[in-house]
Parts: sequence; C-alpha cells; structure tokens
Amino acid sequence: MNSVRPHEPYGIPAFKALVAGAWGLLAALNVGAATPPLTQPGASAAFIEKHCAGCHDSVEKKGDLDLTALALNPGDPKNFARWLKVHDRVESGEMPPKKKTRPAAGEVREFLAPLAKSLAAAEQARAGDEGRATRRRLNRYEYENALRDLLGAPWLQVKDALPEDGEAHRFNKVGEALDVSHVQMARYLGVADYALRQVMARSPEQPATAMTRYHARDQRSFTGPMKFSVFNTSPERATFPVLGFEPQPEVRAGKAPVTVGAADPATRDLEGVGVVAGNYEPLEPKFISFKAPAAGRYRLRFNAFSVRVGPTVQIDPKKPDRWWIPDLDKVARGRRSEPITVYSETPPRQLRWLGTFDAQVEPGLHELDVWLLAGETIRVDASRLFRSRPGAARWQNPLAEKDGSPGVVFRWMDVEGPINDRWPGAGHALLFGDLPLKKAEKPGAPAEVVSANPAADAPRLLKNFLNQAYRRPVPAHEVKRFMPVIEHALKNNASFADAMIAGYTAVLCSPEFVSIEEKPGKLDHHAIATRLAFFLGNSAPDAELRALADKGGLRRAETLRAQTERLLNDPKSKRFTEAFLDYWLDLRRIIATSPDEALYNEYYLDDLLAESAVFETRAFFAELLRGDLPARNVISSDFAMLNEKLAAHYGLPPVEGVAIRKVALPADSVRGGLMTQASVLKVSANGTTTSPVLRGVWIMERILGETPTPPPASVPAVEPDIRGAATIRDLLAKHRTQEMCASCHTRIDPAGFALESFDVMGGFRTHYRAMGVEGKAPAPGIGFGGQKFTFHYALPVDASGELPDGRTFADVRELKRLLLTDERAIARNLVKQLVVYATGAPVRFIDRPAVEKILDRAAARGYGVRSLVHEIVQSDLFLNK
Amino acid sequence: MKTPARPSRPVPGSFVSAQRALSRRQFLRNAGVVMSLPWLDSMLPAFARGETLKAATAKPRRMLGICNNLGLLPDQFFPKTAGRGYQLSPYLESLREHRDDFTVFSGVWHPDVDGGHPADICFLTAAPHPGSGGFRNTISLDQYIAERIGHETRFPSLTLGVNVLQGQRSLSWTGSGVLIPCEEKPSDVFRKLFVQGTPAEVEAQMRKLAQGQSILDAVGSQAKDLQRGIGARDRDRLDQYFTSVRELEQRMEMSKEWEKRPKPKVTASMPLDPASPKEYMEKVRLMYDMARLAFQTDSTRSISLLLDSVNSPTLDLDEEHKLTDAYHNLSHHGRSEAKIAQLKTIDQWHMKLLANLFKDLKAVNEGGDTLFDRTMVLYGSNLGNANTHVTTNLPVLFAGGGFRHGQHLAFDTAHNYPLPNLFVSMLQRMGIESDKFATSTGTMRGLEMARA
Repeated sequence: MNSVRPHEPYGIPAFKALVAGAWGLLAALNVGAATPPLTQPGASAAFIEKHCAGCHDSVEKKGDLDLTALALNPGDPKNFARWLKVHDRVESGEMPPKKKTRPAAGEVREFLAPLAKSLAAAEQARAGDEGRATRRRLNRYEYENALRDLLGAPWLQVKDALPEDGEAHRFNKVGEALDVSHVQMARYLGVADYALRQVMARSPEQPATAMTRYHARDQRSFTGPMKFSVFNTSPERATFPVLGFEPQPEVRAGKAPVTVGAADPATRDLEGVGVVAGNYEPLEPKFISFKAPAAGRYRLRFNAFSVRVGPTVQIDPKKPDRWWIPDLDKVARGRRSEPITVYSETPPRQLRWLGTFDAQVEPGLHELDVWLLAGETIRVDASRLFRSRPGAARWQNPLAEKDGSPGVVFRWMDVEGPINDRWPGAGHALLFGDLPLKKAEKPGAPAEVVSANPAADAPRLLKNFLNQAYRRPVPAHEVKRFMPVIEHALKNNASFADAMIAGYTAVLCSPEFVSIEEKPGKLDHHAIATRLAFFLGNSAPDAELRALADKGGLRRAETLRAQTERLLNDPKSKRFTEAFLDYWLDLRRIIATSPDEALYNEYYLDDLLAESAVFETRAFFAELLRGDLPARNVISSDFAMLNEKLAAHYGLPPVEGVAIRKVALPADSVRGGLMTQASVLKVSANGTTTSPVLRGVWIMERILGETPTPPPASVPAVEPDIRGAATIRDLLAKHRTQEMCASCHTRIDPAGFALESFDVMGGFRTHYRAMGVEGKAPAPGIGFGGQKFTFHYALPVDASGELPDGRTFADVRELKRLLLTDERAIARNLVKQLVVYATGAPVRFIDRPAVEKILDRAAARGYGVRSLVHEIVQSDLFLNK
Repeated sequence: MKTPARPSRPVPGSFVSAQRALSRRQFLRNAGVVMSLPWLDSMLPAFARGETLKAATAKPRRMLGICNNLGLLPDQFFPKTAGRGYQLSPYLESLREHRDDFTVFSGVWHPDVDGGHPADICFLTAAPHPGSGGFRNTISLDQYIAERIGHETRFPSLTLGVNVLQGQRSLSWTGSGVLIPCEEKPSDVFRKLFVQGTPAEVEAQMRKLAQGQSILDAVGSQAKDLQRGIGARDRDRLDQYFTSVRELEQRMEMSKEWEKRPKPKVTASMPLDPASPKEYMEKVRLMYDMARLAFQTDSTRSISLLLDSVNSPTLDLDEEHKLTDAYHNLSHHGRSEAKIAQLKTIDQWHMKLLANLFKDLKAVNEGGDTLFDRTMVLYGSNLGNANTHVTTNLPVLFAGGGFRHGQHLAFDTAHNYPLPNLFVSMLQRMGIESDKFATSTGTMRGLEMARA
C-alpha cells in the first residue's frame, strides 16, 4: 500500500520576503490589486500579537509558521492555502491551543471576518466568471456507459481499452485532471470503431434463440480430473461421478463409460460431477464446450446440489490416520447449501464475475440472467470450499470433519440465448435504420447493409445518429462537418456500412461527444440534464431527460426532484453507487494486495470473502440512499448488509446463503457504519500489516473530510515488524512524542488506533499475529489453502486513543460514539465528496455557504443521504457551472 | 495556449517523430508552392535528415532505462566500500566479468518522489509527490530523448513492460503527463520491428491511415470551432484536445511513409511469448533481447522497460528454485527469513539476466565500437526497500554507453543526492544539449565520459 502522502511545500520564504515591516499582515493589506484590504487591520494585527505570536513568531516559529511575518497575498494559491488553514484552525477553536487563553468570541469574529472576506475575494478573482467547473472529457467509466446506452449494448466492455483517468480531489470527474493525449485520441478511434462494429447485425434474419444443455460429463475440465495422473494423485484435487445421489466407482475407475450419452437422456440428466474443493489450479471445471456465439443477453440455468463425501477409513493402523482425505466412492446427501460463484472466462483466465447462487441439498435449478461477450465461456466455483495449496506439509481440508467433507455436484448447464428482444438490435437500427440486409460474403462478417441511394441515406442516417449521440440539439452544419468522412470512404471503395462507421467513429471521438459542455453561469436545460445523468447514472441523459431538456422544463424544482427520484430508482443507479464508491472509498483497489499467505492464510485465496466485502459496501450505501437513512450511518449503523461469509467473518450470529441482505446488529457490535466494513479495512491496509497512520489518514480524508498535512518526504516510514516484539503503537510512540510530529499525528492517528482492532481483511482481533520467533507454538487452525497456521498470537491490541479535542476512547465503539456527536460534520463530508463527484469541482472556500445551505435543508430529515442528494441537485453548486 | 498550431509544442510518443519541419496541414496549405518539389523530401525530414545526421554524428548513442518496481534487497545490493577499488556486494558478484563497465550508486534518490509503489511511474520522470492528490506526471527521460532525436530512427522510442498492470503503469510519459502504454509481448515488438507487411496489407494500412486522417480533420475542426468565445480554462482543455488530434494526425502521416520503406532484416526468429505471468524471468530475458535487437538494427535509440514485479504472481523459476509466494507478497517480507531467502533467489536471477544483456551488447560490433559502448543501460528501482516502501536510497546501477565506470559512487545515505543529475549526464552523452532535467542540480558528480 501507499506510504503516507507527501508534504506540500510548507515554508514559503518568498512571501515572507515580500514583507518589509514586522507586521506582515498589515503590510500585506496592499498586496494584490484584486484583494480588498481587511477592514480592521489594527484588530487583526492585535489578535495575532495577542493570541498567536507567542508561538508563531520569528523566534518560536512553531509549525514553521511565523504569523508576524507572513504576508497576506491570497492571490497566490500557496499563500491562500496557508491563510485558509489559519482561518480554519482559529474558526474551529483548535487555535489558539487549549492550554492558552481563549480569545473572546467577538475577538475571533473580528479577526476572521475580514480574513474570510479577503480569501473569498481572492478566490472569486482567481476563478473569474468561468464557473467552478472546467470543461472536461468523459472519464472511461462514463465513456463506456455512454456507448452502451447509445448503442443499446449493455455488454460492451471498453473501459480498460482507454488510458487510466487522472484523479483530482479523489475523483475521476475533474476537468483539470482529465487529459487528452494523442494516445487517448488513438484509443478513442479504436474503441469507437470496435463498439460500432459490435452492434452490427450478424445475419439478415433474426437467428432463432437456441436453448442448449451442456452436461458436466461432456466437459473435459470436469471429467479429466476423475482419473489420477502423474500430475495429480490427490482426491481433493480430483472430481468424482455421481448418478442421482449415488457414487459411481466403476465410472471413476474407468471400468464404465463416463456417460450414458444421448441415447439415454433421462439417465444422462441425472449424471453429475462432484468436487470437494474450489475452482483453482489445477482443478478448474468449466463448461468449455459452450462459447457465446455473439455478444448479448443469455439465460444460464444450472442444475447442482450439495453432497457430503465420506472420510478415508484407516486400514493399516501403523500408518497415520488421515481421515480428512475424502473417499470419492462414498457420497452422501449434503447437510447444508453451498455458495456457487459463476464467472465468464475469456482464455487465458480472464475472469468476469457474473453472479452467485446457493446449491441446495436437493438438486435444483438456478437461473442467472447475464450479458456475455462473444467467445466467453462459463466457469463455476464452489466458493466456500477450500483450495489446496502445497506447503510445509500435505494440505488438510479445513472443512473436513471426521464423518466427511462437504462437496458440490454439477449436473448440467442450460443456455438460452443470445436473447434478442428486437431484430435487428437497437444499435444496428440506430446506425442503419431499416435498410435491407444481405448475407455477408465473408463467413463470420456482419450482414451487408444495402443502400440503393447512399447520397441520400448517408446524410439522413448521420443526422439521426448525431441527434442521438450529442446531448443537445444539433445544428445543421454538424452534419456537413462529418459528411466528408463518409464521402472520403465511399470514394476509396469502402462499403456503405464501413463508410458510415467511419463517419460515426468521428462523431464518437468528437469533442461534443467526448467532453461535457457547460457555459458559465446558470446551466441551460441540456447541461442540467447532462450533469444529472452523469451524476446519478454515470452516463449520458436518457430519452426522458433529453425530452425534458428539449422542452426547457428542467429548471423547475419539482421536475428536478421527480427526475432525481426516477434516476435513483432506476436499476442503472448502481452505476452511480459503484463508480462513486470505487473512488470515494477506493473500492476499485480491493485486490491491489492479497492477504499474506502465511500470516493470514485463512483469507488467502478466499475470493468469495473479498467479493462479498465489496458487495456489502455497495449494498450498504445503496441502502442509505434507498431509505434516506441519516448520514450518521456512515459512522455507525444498527444494521449491516451481510451474507453468510461476512456474518461468519465478523463473528455475528450466522445467516445462511450467499445473497447480501439487511441484518440487524447486536447492540454491542463493533460493526455498523463504513469504517468497520471489511472492504474499507482491506483497502486501508496492505496484505501483511496495518498502520494506524495510514488508516488514520484514510479515515480522515474520506470519512471525516479533513486533509491531513503530509509528512516531510525525508522522514522514513515506520518499518513494520511481524516478529511480534513490538506493536506498531510502540514503534510510533517515539515519533509521536516529538513535538514536530505530534502536532499532526494527534489529528491523524486516533481513528487509526481504534481500527487496530481489525486485521488486514477486517477481522476482529485482540492480539497481533507474529511469525518467525523460535519457541513460539503456532496458533491452532488450518488456512483456506489447507496449510496449518504458522503464526502465533503476540502482543495484545490497544485500540484506545484520544481525539485532538481531548476526549478519550477505549475502542472503536467508543470512538464511533464520540464522532456521532457531530452529525452535521459527518453529513458535510458526504456532501463535499458528492459535490466533487456531481459537479467535477471541489468545494472551495466561497462554496462553503452553499454547502451549509444544503445541510440546513436536509437537517430536518436527519441529513438523510437521499435528501442530501436531492439538496445537492437543487443547489446553486449543481445548477451553475 | 490559444494557438495550438505551434510547431514547438512537445509532441512525444512512441511511434512517430514529433519534430517535423512541415505539418500535413501546412503542406496542404502550401501545396501550390511546393508541388513541383519532390514533396517527400520537404515534408519528411525524418528520412532525409536522418541519413545525413547519421553520417555526421557517426556514433549513434542509445539509452535503455529499466525499473524493477520492487527493487532489490539493499543489504545484498549495495557494496560496503566506496570508490574505484570497492568490493563487490553479493549481488554484484554476478556482474563480476563486467566490473569495469558499470557504476553502482548509493545514497541517491529522486527528490521528493515519495508515495511508495506509485513512485515507479516517476522513475524516468522524477516528478515529485506521485501519491498526492494534485499530482501530474511529467515527461520521461526516454520521451525527452525521443522528442529530440526520435526522427533519426524508424521508432522514436519503444515502451516495453513485463507483467504490467495495463493502462495503469508505465515508465514512459508524454510531456503533457499522459501514460504511454507498454508493449507486453516480445512477439509484438519483434513484428513491429522486423516483419514486413504484404503489399496488400501495406495498401490496406495506408487506406486506414488516410481514413483516420479524414476523421481527425472533422473532429479537429469541431474542437477549433468550440474554442471560440469561451473562458481560458475551458479553452485550454479544448486546446489540449486539438493538439492531440494534430499530433495523432502527424503520426499517421509519418506512419504512412514508414509503411513504404522496408523494415530491417534479422537472422533472429520470432520469439515465443511466455503464456503465463509466472514466466516473468523468461519475459524479462526476451525483452532484453528485443531491446538489443532494436538497438542493433538502429530501429530506435530510446527504450524504457518497466518490470512490474508488484503485479506479478508467484514466479516459476526452475526445479531447484521453488517459490511459495507472489513476488509482491515476498517483498513485504516483514524480515521473515524464508521470504528473504526467496527474494534473494529472484534478485540474483535479475543480476544474471543483466550480466547476459551486457554480454550480448558487447558481442555486437558497430563501427569499431561494441554496441555496449554506445548503449547506456540504467537499472534501478523506485523503492529503496520494498519492505518499508521508502523511496530514498534507491538501488541504481548504470552500465555502458561510454563512461569511465568501475566504481561505487557512494553518496550520503541520510541526505540523498539527486538521481536526475544522472539523467542530465545521460542526455549530454546522447549529444543532446540539456543542462537540466526535472529536479536535477547539475550533472552526475563523479561520473565522467570515457571518450567523445
């Protein structure tokens, strides 16, 4: 994981040099024509002399700050930032510090008011009348969604073909960070061309929707591992045949055919193949004889059930009793359901998560409605079962009991699809209208589009396409702009379809499509529609929004509210929650590090846990949004969104099944809220160790909405030590006692200390784990990979701490309680994050009143998250550039 | 920022030279005047000038910059003694036969480049604070070189990678701070360098490029129109867009010309791409080979190679060396002896591959010199110690290229010396008149050129 963020240049001697006299503030009043002087300079200087200069003068210079010599030159961004910090520290009462005499409230006001005015004036002058936001291109999430919606192709996957987007103020939504290069341009050309060709009709007539059954017994990846070979002699890594519920030793021994085949369909449907381990090299069952013939919607139906495989009975008493090894000829009914994760796979091993279901004790059908790309096949993973990993000793299935091991049997998969709701598809119709189609000469190529009159068809189709693609009315000259592209192609003997694709490619790479236009001042109706759509659907406006904008009806508060409701209720709003959380909480980095194989081997390779963790956080935020639940739930909630895996991981009362559902939490639970969710605890740690500093910074920035001062670059990070001799708190202690370091660390570390109760995957711990110390007996237990634990429990965790204001807490529950005392601050942070995401610009100093207004209006609803979204949409921040 | 058609605007990239005397747009504008001239010559200085420059400078200079983003175990890499008579460290023992042909540095860093892992993208740029919110990367050394002398070769630069997290990491960055994606497959590099397309393919490619240019004409004109009457910040964004269109257009024009020229022939055969990221070391070996072939055929002078160890799984080495953990996990060794032992194995492997690269470069003769004498190889990491993620005390080794090597330049480990100074020395060795790169303060102290 990242080390602590770096320092901004802090000492600003250049500005000090600006000041000749001893009273920088006074002298500065005349600096910068755009900066009106403070109205009561005498009062300000007196305030500094009386309350600040004791520490922040040229002698003491605490925090490298000499307020007696710091000019006020807010036209300069760095100077502005410094004074803003002074303003905020004084305003919050943090400065002067507790131990000093408190200035009277009136004194503070008199100091802050003119300073605020100067800062605001400078900021306003710098921004000019261009508005907060800068014209920006779509980020790659948005570009992908816009293409999907325009072309009626929800299965398109083009995001990763575009360069990574720049990030500013935590999000990929800010114009200044969303660059365009020649590389980006070249990628646009490629991606647009690819996407357009993907939606072309493959044949002149609608192909019949096929329904095909793929038996597990016909898949080599299922039946191959039935036999032991030089590569595998271990039953856990083998598969086994089952007919009905009965094992088939003859088949397994190769003495009977693998399947009865098509001659006996009734028996064939009862044949299954079982596993006692998850899908992991070298045991990777998949329905490889199915390959999606074309991109589109498919219905998958699985017949599967859970079983129990008997233990190996000890025959020779002199040999060790290895009861945990399954006897694959002893199969009995299962005792519990087993979660199955379904992935699509593009060789080699490019996996895409499609869905999950629970295989029950009784064989049953489990249906998934999915989008597949051409050529993808289907892989199934019994994701609760262990994954055998070699190590110091032979593996031992951690789920095995004296009377057997849990397993899953797959019988078959039915595939229906591609399912075409209309023919040709919406994308094709957009590109070529109802022009007749002819079978292509080249096999596999899309059907040939026949135009009897290209000179008339081309501009007609192009005009229609432009109207759909651009998010505002299209002037006639735009058609003229792109016609030469099509004409050029036709002249060079391109087919009609290829020529049109060239023209459309140009449209999809043009600035009107690729970037978002907003004029300074109040946004027009189309710009509002665009902002709203990219905010709540992460895509271009749909037909309804577009129609409202065309009619000029979007400025009305009620309309805006109704549209916001509609978009939030649309299933596509999950694009908003996912994209927002991907950046706000870094969920996109969930697999950036994996849990250490030795220290955390119960988590290592547990995909279901990592996936569930992300789904939990998404479901949690969606629930806040759905139920308009108060923003304080971000810190602490009386419920959690869990499945069986997570409930067990959190040590909560068990629930059964892989689906995420809302569960009430016990009153004394450490869970509830975002900070103690596995996803957050995972992305704020590396796979081996946690750091209160890194987690503290993470929580401060994202949950508390404060920006910590980064450490000086020359200070090395505290080196983690997994031998267990010292806790991270001990290692940090020296650091924290140094005054230079302490001033920041007292602000950063508290949340981090409270979260020390959670390991790298968010599991609760009372003791640290350690390794590599001789004479220490390892903790009992077996990891997900079947290897015995090698770590031992070391020093106890101390999760207590003290907030900068002096309030103390013993653990994370108490910390949450302290933080809950300021619900408005929790809501304020959420608003700030959402405003950046929604408007593509940060909350500036002069935007603060607008944020307070949003909060005021949502206060009556307890700062409900849905209310906050509504108030943001209705705010000046949202409705102005 | 208002007039995008400035020819001086940096136009970096991995395919076509930016330094063009005459843009296609200008050419069309002046078509009436130049029509009687052999237009190719006036429009494509890369070829004409390339020939003459090659004759004039006689000695082509080259640069290969390699970053292994998990670094090397410091106590095994850094020599304990300094100067010319220094004693080889355990790792450097593997390079014993090249002892006089490289310099090892200690106590160097990229000033204020911190942030741990994200710092790898700054290894050739030295842009400070890659972990911070407002970070923007700057031009990388290889692209800086490509901008200036890239027109002398078919490819101004090559950006290579092993197990790179695509779209996220690269050593090569354009002047506007945009990532240039890495070539991952040795066979793709080989094909790009040496495999001639059929006439039909060439013709199809030419048509495709012309089609692309017509598309860019249309979108470029819209960007121009939109720039009217808008604020400076918005205009700047559209200007960047327009510039990108123009740069791509120029590249397409250049690519059309290269399409017509035959590619060099080599006796080496097309490499087989390792199928799995586990075959990391084989991939590294093949990329070293591709770099050597590219230099040998003078296809390019500037190559970056990112070894994305962070993104690599448990490596397959050989029967004797079985690893248990993914490379990244090993680097978080937490002082575990078992993990450190495995890391040593990996690091030693790196050293041996490097020794082989040096040997291969030495085996090629070019105008009385060896290829090694004319090729600077920079090998290092953005991490001083992967266990702690520090970005100080970087392990850096610098070989070949015509310097007086055979020394350990030991700087202060508490207050590091700026590594960008080495970049300035490298630029000057390339014959590029630069006295500054990123946060440099001069040229590398203690490093002298061997001969002109």
